[in-house]
Amino acid sequence: MPPSNLGVLSFVMDGIHPHDIGTILDQEGIAVRTGHHCAQPLMERFGVPATARASFALYNTVEEVDALAEGLEKVQEVFA
Amino acid sequence: MSDLRDLYQETILEHSKSPRNYRKLEAANRTAEGYNPLCGDHFTLYVDVQGDAIRDIGFQGSGCAISKASASMMTQSVKGRSKAEAQQLFRQFQELVTNQASPNGDKDKLGKLTVFSGVSEFPVRVKCATLAWHTLQAALEGTQQPVSTE
Repeated sequence: MPPSNLGVLSFVMDGIHPHDIGTILDQEGIAVRTGHHCAQPLMERFGVPATARASFALYNTVEEVDALAEGLEKVQEVFA
Repeated sequence: MSDLRDLYQETILEHSKSPRNYRKLEAANRTAEGYNPLCGDHFTLYVDVQGDAIRDIGFQGSGCAISKASASMMTQSVKGRSKAEAQQLFRQFQELVTNQASPNGDKDKLGKLTVFSGVSEFPVRVKCATLAWHTLQAALEGTQQPVSTE
């Protein structure tokens, strides 16, 4: 599998801490991991306090991807 | 399901965007570092203690909205208070965010800190809300080691 096809997506949102992203997504029934992911040196390297991370696998559906996207819009609403 | 608006109240969002007393205090005679390695929250607290009084206080660092707003409002609440009063506020605050406050307790002493009551519905966020307070305690006690909530 080419490395560009990995299903693990780490991301940040401008001005919103990943922990706050995680709590809001959790309320929407979406589980992501937030924090350092046991990779503190890498966080320092990129100058971010933490990241949020969504992991997709074979059993995830397109609807679930849409739910994540909607959840992220909700995060932006709360912090607008 | 607990309401997000109970957690992210307007006051909390506002303080996280424009934290008060967000500065290094040149006159500080006590400093302490607070760290939450799992979240990545990291704050330094500067306190100017004269006798028994917290004459001035400031903080710097980064963290989630809850931890930053809590640090901001903590500095406002303890500025000008005695060390004992600050300790008492910390105890009451801890009871508030862990939902252990007695119904006839003197919650009104907390003043606007009661906006953090929604945190009790989100157990994993209690550490975010109390990080600055633990750091204050370390600063007042003169602890040299960084405070960790883990």
